[in-house]
Amino acid sequence: MKHKKLIWGVVALILLAALVGFDILKAPGQAHEFEVAAEFELHPIVTLPTIGPFDMSINKAVVYLWITAAVLILAAVVIRLSLKQQPGRFQVVIETLYGLAHDGIVGAVMKSGRATWFPFVAGAFFFVLTANLIGLVPLPFAEHSQLGFYTATANLYVTLALALCTFVFTHYAGIRQNGGLRYFKNWAPPSAPPVLRQLIWVIHAVSEIFRLVSLAVRLFANMLAGHAILAVFFAMALIFQSYLAAVFLQGASVLIYLFEIFVAFIQAFIFAILSAVYIGGALDQEH
Amino acid sequence: MDAEAAKLLGAGIAMGVGALGPGIGLGMLLGKAYESIARQPEVSGDIRTSMFIGIGVTEAVALYAFVVALILIFVA
Repeated sequence: MKHKKLIWGVVALILLAALVGFDILKAPGQAHEFEVAAEFELHPIVTLPTIGPFDMSINKAVVYLWITAAVLILAAVVIRLSLKQQPGRFQVVIETLYGLAHDGIVGAVMKSGRATWFPFVAGAFFFVLTANLIGLVPLPFAEHSQLGFYTATANLYVTLALALCTFVFTHYAGIRQNGGLRYFKNWAPPSAPPVLRQLIWVIHAVSEIFRLVSLAVRLFANMLAGHAILAVFFAMALIFQSYLAAVFLQGASVLIYLFEIFVAFIQAFIFAILSAVYIGGALDQEH
Repeated sequence: MDAEAAKLLGAGIAMGVGALGPGIGLGMLLGKAYESIARQPEVSGDIRTSMFIGIGVTEAVALYAFVVALILIFVA
């Protein structure tokens, strides 16, 4: 029974891969070339005026963010309305995810302020997870409205905004807990000799900036690399100009796809757990 | 060698060499983590949590190389 379901799942995935492959093949005008980079270019769908330095045009990434937000809101409402004393299958999955965010992420790495910061960390976890998973559903937003894979988190601006939230909340939490002056003073251990202390303080300040950068770049590069590999494998027929290569590699693309589902979970988990570590570190400074 | 070829070569070398260190690091990290889980299965939850933090930090190095390769190909 279990194996039957697994086989059907794999068959469905192979059909999905074939669908996307053929959709790329029958694209009008550009049937004989394929550019991976073109999959990640952002063209405005609806052009809107520029306000100050911000271009308000709606492009693929914005639509994906809207879809993510809509799915999250809808899921929240549906889950709230369907909560039962005796959990069904769906509720068990949701409770497991919630438990992972509550005990596995916040409970495992934060000492104080768990109740205050759980909503943010769990929100980041579920948002990144949903955005990553939606990126694995083929949606018709590629060029010429073909089916294509794109994810909002394969965009440095989106991940940088998410990382900035963590960055701002980290220092807000630290200042609120310890007081402004004491928080920044504690960046260097008070027991160190004075000259060394200043040096350590500067190193710590630089590391704070690099935390922000690495948090953003990690998620961005992981999702971009994953989707680039997916795009290459799905377009093998075009790249090798041969259906024989495509038959084998389209099968391999299913394995890559399954691995990308795993990566989507891991990256959401790592983003949330590092946010929790940074916020927890600002709350409970070492003295 | 023309500039375009040098760019592509540089991107390939950056990604390949840049993946060496994190690969070794991840191998050591995961090996040690699984070893300690095998020794003390009762604290596997804690070990797994800190393992993921370590993975995130180690992996970032390889991803910097990836970003450098992308910049070499598309921006430089």
